[in-house]
Amino acid sequence: MVDALSPLAPVWEPGTHGDTSAGIGVGLTELAPGSIVQAAAWPGEEKALISAIAAVAGLELPDGAGGGVATEGKGAFGFAPGRFLVTDQKEGLAAAIAERVPSAMGTVTDLSHGRTALRVSGRKAEWVLSKFFAIDFSLAALPVGSGLATAHHDIFALVQRAAADQFDVIVFRSFARSFWAALRHASAEVGYEVS
Amino acid sequence: MRITCPYCGPRDLAEYTYQGDGNRTRPDPESTDAAAWNAYVYDRLNTAGPHREVWQHSGGCRQHLAVTRDTLTHAISDVRFTRDAGQRRSDGHRKAGEPA
Amino acid sequence: MSPRRADIGGGRIDRHRDVRFTFDGRPYSGHPGDTLASALLANGVSLVGRSFKYHRPRGVLAAGVDEPNALVTVLKGEVREPNVPATLLEVYDGLVAVSQNRFPSLDLDFAAVNQLAGGLFSAGFYYKTFMGPVVGPLKGTRFWMLCEPFIRRAAGLGRAGTAPDPDRYERMNAFCEVLVVGSGPAGLSAAKAAAASGKRVVLAELDARMGGQANWSGETIGGRPAAEWAAAQLQDLAGRPNVRLLPRTTVWGYYDDNTFSALERVADHKARMRPGEPRHRHWVIRADSVVLATGAFERPLVFPGNDRPGVMLARAAERYANEFGVVAGRRVALFTNHDGAYRAAGALKAGGAEIVALIDVRREISPEARSAALAAGGVFLTGHAVVGTEGGKALTGIKVQQYDAAAASLSGEPRSMAADCLLVSGGWSPALHLASQAGAAPRWDEPLQAFLPPEAARNWHGAGAFNGRTDTAAALSEGDAAGRKAAGLTGRAKAPPVGGPGLGSAPAPVFEIKAPGKAFVDFQHDVTAADVRLSHREGFISVEHLKRYTTLGMATDQGKTSNVPGLAIMAEARGVPIPKVGTTRFRPPFAPVSLGSLAAERFGEVKPERLTPMHDWHVAQGARMYAAGLWFRPMIYGLPGETVEQAYVREAKTVREKAGIVDVSTLGKIAVQGPDAAGFLDRVYTNMFSTLPVGKARYGLMLREDGLLLDDGTTWRLGENDFLMTTTTANAGKVMQHLEYLLDVVWPELKVHLTSVTDQWAGAAIGGPKAREILASAVTDTAVDDKALPFMGIVHGEVAGAPVMICRLSFSGEMAFEVYCGAGHGEHVWEALISAGKPFGLVPYGLEALGTLRIEKGHVTGAEIDGRTTARDLYLDGMLSKKKPFVGSGTMDREGLLADDRVRLVGVVSLDNRPLNGGAHIVERSDPDNPRDSIGHITAACYSPALGRYIALALVKGGKARHGGRAFTSDPLRGRYGPVEIVSHHFYDPEGKRLHG
Repeated sequence: MVDALSPLAPVWEPGTHGDTSAGIGVGLTELAPGSIVQAAAWPGEEKALISAIAAVAGLELPDGAGGGVATEGKGAFGFAPGRFLVTDQKEGLAAAIAERVPSAMGTVTDLSHGRTALRVSGRKAEWVLSKFFAIDFSLAALPVGSGLATAHHDIFALVQRAAADQFDVIVFRSFARSFWAALRHASAEVGYEVS
Repeated sequence: MRITCPYCGPRDLAEYTYQGDGNRTRPDPESTDAAAWNAYVYDRLNTAGPHREVWQHSGGCRQHLAVTRDTLTHAISDVRFTRDAGQRRSDGHRKAGEPA
Repeated sequence: MSPRRADIGGGRIDRHRDVRFTFDGRPYSGHPGDTLASALLANGVSLVGRSFKYHRPRGVLAAGVDEPNALVTVLKGEVREPNVPATLLEVYDGLVAVSQNRFPSLDLDFAAVNQLAGGLFSAGFYYKTFMGPVVGPLKGTRFWMLCEPFIRRAAGLGRAGTAPDPDRYERMNAFCEVLVVGSGPAGLSAAKAAAASGKRVVLAELDARMGGQANWSGETIGGRPAAEWAAAQLQDLAGRPNVRLLPRTTVWGYYDDNTFSALERVADHKARMRPGEPRHRHWVIRADSVVLATGAFERPLVFPGNDRPGVMLARAAERYANEFGVVAGRRVALFTNHDGAYRAAGALKAGGAEIVALIDVRREISPEARSAALAAGGVFLTGHAVVGTEGGKALTGIKVQQYDAAAASLSGEPRSMAADCLLVSGGWSPALHLASQAGAAPRWDEPLQAFLPPEAARNWHGAGAFNGRTDTAAALSEGDAAGRKAAGLTGRAKAPPVGGPGLGSAPAPVFEIKAPGKAFVDFQHDVTAADVRLSHREGFISVEHLKRYTTLGMATDQGKTSNVPGLAIMAEARGVPIPKVGTTRFRPPFAPVSLGSLAAERFGEVKPERLTPMHDWHVAQGARMYAAGLWFRPMIYGLPGETVEQAYVREAKTVREKAGIVDVSTLGKIAVQGPDAAGFLDRVYTNMFSTLPVGKARYGLMLREDGLLLDDGTTWRLGENDFLMTTTTANAGKVMQHLEYLLDVVWPELKVHLTSVTDQWAGAAIGGPKAREILASAVTDTAVDDKALPFMGIVHGEVAGAPVMICRLSFSGEMAFEVYCGAGHGEHVWEALISAGKPFGLVPYGLEALGTLRIEKGHVTGAEIDGRTTARDLYLDGMLSKKKPFVGSGTMDREGLLADDRVRLVGVVSLDNRPLNGGAHIVERSDPDNPRDSIGHITAACYSPALGRYIALALVKGGKARHGGRAFTSDPLRGRYGPVEIVSHHFYDPEGKRLHG
């Protein structure tokens, strides 16, 4: 099997950057999950789809808009009515879920190559993301595990809170290098580490 | 201006796309009534006051929303998914998936 | 030079440290905490600028954002920042500031002769002198052309620079339950009350030091100096995790749904910025509720010579003394119409100034004010007014006369008094700007002679001087109440006691002393009381017209000191009460905003762009890249020494003769999935898709609801309920929204999901006589011969170990294949195809060659599907199904869309063997001297290597009927005229034989 090439490969500069005089404000990394999958249910089939995701990925999605769950190497959340994004370090998730989702329940779309997942973590993660998105990133408004769809100008993004100070931002692959550059730019004032 | 998306919650105007007057009725697809098609394509209400309009949450869940907005104050009194608004549905079209 | 640093107050400055800066090239020193205004005053500098029209010498009038005179340009290397108020500019080591609107220097300004031509520059000067027909040598529009260069130089403020700004600007989004604007006693009290609720509170203060007038009032709060009380409150707030303090942050816009725009001056006060630090931060704050504790602006009085350096607002002088330890003069006079101004006299006396005179237009004043006046000393003249000032570039004295405020009349002989500083105060105008932006009109308050805030139409609560309450005790209790309300709390905190002179600020209704000489209303735009009256005489009686005709209140200070005096003078001229004249509605911004902060991350290196998976390969191969929307695509892969034309001709020729490969990853791709997907496609495409077998693709045409063409592309059926739709690169987003609208609004019953998968797939189109051989040598796990892969067939296989999906379709007219693979494998597969193609002479080709190949074939793109053309216009009517309705079928047969005179697609061949240009007109008779009678235009042009001619596609009236006819290209913009032949748009291989190898 051929490894997928990251769109960030030529601009990948591990190490610390920016103003680190007050420590490292955020850590930036690419998650490169093996699978990024959209599963979408027809109205009324949401619960069945949630069960299918649970059966395949082992992720128990809570009910409610934007509800989600994040575990080591895996995550899932709702970002639109009946639509869920499921990520897994393992490849082949789309096919596995598709087997459990008949056409009467919904559809499954493999986006593993089409989206790039970046993780922003650390004490200044909310601060840095607030430069991009008009979203209330406080823990009360966006609890751990939950996610949402938003946009930074032309760049459509899905964001999941993986932990209190840890956010996964999923953008279209063609925008990834631009968004990465913008993310580094925005992180410079708080000091950041690429790893 | 902020619009409260039924799924995503309150979001800035920048995340939405205006998709036109929400008072239009699309004629039956088979219709050859030129006046009805003309009205659907070109006629728009220009209400001063509460106005029904369609917005897409294009920078979010991408759903189309039926929004009632006062054009004098920008106050939004009602937002729901257009698919739940139960209006402007075309009747008489072939059932989904039926061959033509 | 009389202002100086004194041994009083100065809580804001650090006297133990020095800061060095230059003003107009001369070195000065100040202390950390100084503004440029306070530091210049401390150095005895009272002349800081020249006025807008008359070039009159001007000094510091105010101490804050309301300053109209002391505007300077800050220089950082080659970068100029003009019109910065010296009263907000904090000094730092190495600050370089220069004065504005003077030549050659501030002291010696040639253009000051403008003062002598005062009548010439009165209100409406431009309109009267420069508009209309030429009636003499010194009138009319032509005269304007002559004078403009001189006037543009002579009038104005600072000059913008041309050097690029190297600083960064950022945007920040914030959310809070309570926003408090203004950190004076009212704002602090509100923030404290709201913070106790545990809700998120943001406290924004435009000044560098929070605390507002607690820092300079000289009062006590809770038994200790007000500044200490404020510092304690701030320390408490800073320690709370739910509170964010934003000093140096001007809230300048109040938008719908309690959304606020604010500008934080993050680094303007720093000698050196930290790495990555923005200079300005544009905050967008969404607050559930807001407390407006924005205070009030002191008004000057209007009298002749009121703009001479040395004339200063009373509260500003008090502030310089108490906050910066700077005494504005040695011999100080005061001129006012209310009690509150007397406090300033006390402050300056404490700083060692001699109070020479206290002049009040009123005969009766309160006992408190009287005792404050007597304590200050000096000649105490009630029922008097200042009628003039003396001195050149600095005040040396004032002229005073008896005044009857009720009759507005002067009597007796003017007497002169020596003074180097005149404090003026004409009452207070609440800073209503944000409330006014939020909607309702303010109301006039007779006792305070001021506009007070309207009833709150939105979720805001006012407190303190904003409400017209200038006493600190009221500010504290109102702040507490507003903070509680905003946070949804009830109850009331006991306000700490306030100690001070307790002077009221209700003024006598006197705004102007009419006496001979120029009396300024708007200092920054040089609008005088006479200008206001002139505009009234000429019929400009509405406040909006007054504003535009005189430019009153339209300078960068937006009339903070001049609005109400200007209205009062107009009201008097009209003989109506002030509220009858009305007030203008304030609009954002409250104070000037840097454009950089608004552009923020949409500028320079962080502007977004879209790159295909093969982008780096293209760049490494020396491709010249072309921005197509946000995408970057190879235009040509030029060889050394090749022109663009030579390169694309070589590339296109090679495709026809051997093979070429082009990156088509930018094509829009939409997954259309679900049991109703096929039926949905039947409704949105003009042709049928439900009959398309799995494993095949079909070309489709989409119309808009109005029957015009929307887009075209191929759609591949990957499974029974699974289609991959492709769109043109430019229309991907538009088509997606069109389809989503139909599913959400028109046919919500259909079970169809749409997902953008543009970025999921890398696409390479490989075409030419050798294409199949190349593919066969590169692809494993599937055959690619005619049987396995017929025209419009789809197969799955592998290239160099990566899974691919191949569809045999052609844009170039050659036998061609589109090879799709996961984007992450794009470069890998591309390189494998390139090396497989090497023995066959395969070349990569760019957009120019792609365009050439399609023009030769007469294939349409966005240049022809331009939002005005129909399927028939492009001879695509064969694609309009008669068996089913589709989007646009009800409207496409409208009369106008079937008319004979519509422009339709043709081919055009250059007969003079010169290039044709897209956008050029086609005419029947060439007349370069008078180009007219267009019958259409060229949509796309190229040199065709296959034909050996310059050819083009065009939309021409009559279309096919003109085939074989002669016409001309007429291109006045580029000066290109010449004969052409109109031919079929199928220039090359019209039967499509090459498609099949």
